[in-house]
Amino acid sequence: MKEEHIEYLKEAIGQERVITDLEDKICLGYDSTRLEYMPDVIIRVENSCQISQVLKFANEYKIPVTPRGAATGLSGGCLPVHGGISLIMLEMNKILNVNEVDLLVEAEAGAITIDIDKAANKYGLFYPPDPGSLKTSTIGGNIAENAGGLRGLKYGVTKDYVNSLELVLPTGEIINTGAITVKSVSGYNLVDLVVGSEGTLAIVTKATLGLLPVPKARASMLANFTDMSLAAGSVRDIVAAGVITATLEFLDNVTINAIEDYLNVGLDRTIGAMLLIEVDGYQGAVDAEAEIVKNVCKKNNCTDFHLAKSDEERDRLWSARRAALSSLARVRPSTILEDATVPRSRIVELVEAINHIAVKYGLNIGTFGHAGDGNLHPTILTDLRNKEEGKKVEKAIEDIFVKTIELGGTLSGEHGIGLTKAKFLKLEVSEDAYKLMKNIKKTFDPNNILNPGKLFLS
Amino acid sequence: METKINSIKTQHNKKAKSTSQTRAARVFLKGDDLFACSRCGTCLSICPIYKNTLNEGFAPRGKLSLIEAVVNGKIGFTDKLSEKIYTCTMCNLCTTECPSGVKVSELFRAVREDLIENSKYPEVLDYLKDKIEKAYNITFDTNQGRLDWLKQVPDTDINDYVKPTADVVYFVGCVSSFSPRSFSIPRAIVKILKKADVDFTLLGEDEWCCGFPLLSSGMKEEVGALAMHNIEKVIEKKAKILLTSCPSCFHTWKHEYESLTGKKIPFEILHISQYLLNLVNAEKIKPGKLDVRVTYHDPCDLGRNSGVFEQPRQLLKSIPGVELVEMQTSKKQANCCGGGGNIESLNQALSAKIADSRAGEIIDTKAEIAVSACQQCERTLATALKKRKGDTDYKIKVMDVSEILLESLEG
Ligand SMILES: Cc1cc2nc3c(=O)[nH]c(=O)nc-3n(C[C@H](O)[C@H](O)[C@H](O)COP(=O)(O)OP(=O)(O)OC[C@H]3O[C@@H](n4cnc5c(N)ncnc54)[C@H](O)[C@@H]3O)c2cc1C
Repeated sequence: MKEEHIEYLKEAIGQERVITDLEDKICLGYDSTRLEYMPDVIIRVENSCQISQVLKFANEYKIPVTPRGAATGLSGGCLPVHGGISLIMLEMNKILNVNEVDLLVEAEAGAITIDIDKAANKYGLFYPPDPGSLKTSTIGGNIAENAGGLRGLKYGVTKDYVNSLELVLPTGEIINTGAITVKSVSGYNLVDLVVGSEGTLAIVTKATLGLLPVPKARASMLANFTDMSLAAGSVRDIVAAGVITATLEFLDNVTINAIEDYLNVGLDRTIGAMLLIEVDGYQGAVDAEAEIVKNVCKKNNCTDFHLAKSDEERDRLWSARRAALSSLARVRPSTILEDATVPRSRIVELVEAINHIAVKYGLNIGTFGHAGDGNLHPTILTDLRNKEEGKKVEKAIEDIFVKTIELGGTLSGEHGIGLTKAKFLKLEVSEDAYKLMKNIKKTFDPNNILNPGKLFLS
Repeated sequence: METKINSIKTQHNKKAKSTSQTRAARVFLKGDDLFACSRCGTCLSICPIYKNTLNEGFAPRGKLSLIEAVVNGKIGFTDKLSEKIYTCTMCNLCTTECPSGVKVSELFRAVREDLIENSKYPEVLDYLKDKIEKAYNITFDTNQGRLDWLKQVPDTDINDYVKPTADVVYFVGCVSSFSPRSFSIPRAIVKILKKADVDFTLLGEDEWCCGFPLLSSGMKEEVGALAMHNIEKVIEKKAKILLTSCPSCFHTWKHEYESLTGKKIPFEILHISQYLLNLVNAEKIKPGKLDVRVTYHDPCDLGRNSGVFEQPRQLLKSIPGVELVEMQTSKKQANCCGGGGNIESLNQALSAKIADSRAGEIIDTKAEIAVSACQQCERTLATALKKRKGDTDYKIKVMDVSEILLESLEG
């Protein structure tokens, strides 16, 4: 970037908002993939007009602009791979209002996910999508990645809650799209196009999101199985019995052992898989559904079944799941977390394939995830400073993706394609669909200034 | 929302080393620890500095990436690095909550020591070091005023308080000794000790700064002599127990002195809240009734950094009529008051903002009294609560555990 460009931006947006110190650029040059790319300049924006100004200028001089939320992304989405401007959304973090009649909340894009939920809680409402990173991630980042969470099976993912958006287009126009009504069919659904577009089509500046009433009751359960196929059988049978659980999570043996090593909470180290299940709703329904879940797990020969009798017990059950990633992260210096997703009926095959791949490359892979959604998190425990091992890791990832697609699945359930999976996108997307996607990108962003280098191979 | 820090010391004296010469520096030895940070961002949701600035350079994740950049030769020990590293309350929440188990505060301490070695540190530290070296305390030019706070205790005969030998030594700490706002704490403590007939003594002028302010700023070298002196003075008193009321003194005595001096300490080290509970349990004192709703703020250096959570709470519960309510964050997860780690002298506005958040947590409990066990936390919180006066329809008092105990004893 030219010095005069930076000078112009300082003039236009304000000296203190346009930052070029090396130290600051280092601190804003990574995300949770731990890859590193530095921007040429950092701009901390506080309103849509500033963003519009920045984009108009960047579009004219073809300067890359990469939006950055909380940088908890797991596919490298916010990394400015081609330098240019890193647009910091964090100061646009106001929660503007909660509408308890229409069950809506309006917030700026930099608002933290959990703060939106807390604002809703004051009215007996909640914001269902609950990514593991919700205490840190921004709603803009969630929208850009179409983030999921633990409650996906029953409550869906981010896209199911985005009603309308305020956007700044790469050419600088500020538009409002979508509707705050329950239904709307006015023209193309631009909201759904932007949700999950990974910051490549437009900058989200404001969102109106749907809320739900907090369920009156819930029941949490744990079931152990000698092997994964029995656990998966239970998942299948629970759904077949007509129970849509709020959460249906599983942990494999490697993960269970990592948790035990770290927390020593008394998990059975010998089991092949553990399911953590929660149902919610009215008390009567919750009791009935819990009974069905119990019977199904017993029929599938669970070696242990436990229903939490108090909130403390529930917290204890969930603490194991919550600690899954951190426990795995402690085993080796680097953790590579993927989010391959298959139809629920194919989970066993994918888990077996992953175990196979681990043996093939001599890698340590722990797998846990959202069994109800078929969304697995195979987590490779490694040390990326070791180049040899790094190569094996790459091969293993590729094998996992190939198998996932073979099973009718998708490369990414929730973390996005971004930088790290761009080279695999064509495994899943046909040549013609790929071309169509590129054309959509071109329509929004004729000069390819917004988050270049993501999704598509350049 | 860039924040300002007082000018960073940049003197390039003749001895200052270039980055290549500091290859042996402490941070270079921490490669594995640094690499363990997965940049997951958990620390962003808890770091008081980050939450109040939204500036990643102040977040533990950002600081670790900067230290890694030093190790990888991308940057040297620069002014900007120094500014970021020193902007920290040292509350240590990041270390206890880090999912990957990174020993964040150890790394911060190492890099501070490197910054000191490279003469890149906030100017106030020179002032601080100078004071401590010349007068052995952090505030005054001489150490003679160590007992000024005692003058207002009724019927004071100094020989009752400074004895040649005693079972117990009470180490008052610089702030409570010299800052009039905190005098009420040592006064309450000596009154209770008297009531319980404890054979105790103060060190008076022989009490030197414990060294914590230097230690946490990265000036470890200077602290050994202070530690040695203080240990010897307590040994001379033939004491079995050393008491502190300041959590940072406590932490330094308990967790740093032995490794700093290589000496085995032959007496027990207790925080006053622990000792007072022992007195109550042994029925040496009997708290009277106080009908009041209180909340307890865990000082970082007593709670999270020294593991003392329960005794202050039990002490409060030993007072009949006291209803103890917890704040939204407490014990290991307790938020910082904003008064830690020199942040007050480096960036007062930021410190006040952090204090204001904690004041909000206090107000939410609807407690009439906010109790803590640290003169610094109490001062910071009292100031913050005062600013929030309109937020409650009653006045929230801030007290030290020893003060509320004394009130219950005096009825
Ligand atoms: C410990 C951990 C647990 C996680 N758990 C989950 C989980 O359960 N489910 C899940 O789905 N993900 C999870 N993630 C991944 C990540 O948190 C999500 O992808 C999240 O949505 C990213 O939000 P962010 O604010 O950090 O965005 P960033 O990482 O800053 O950015 C992500 C993408 O969004 C773009 N972007 C950011 N803000 C805007 C905006 N205002 N307008 C347009 N584009 C924008 C960026 O350019 C980038 O492409 C987890 C991550 C971690 C580290």
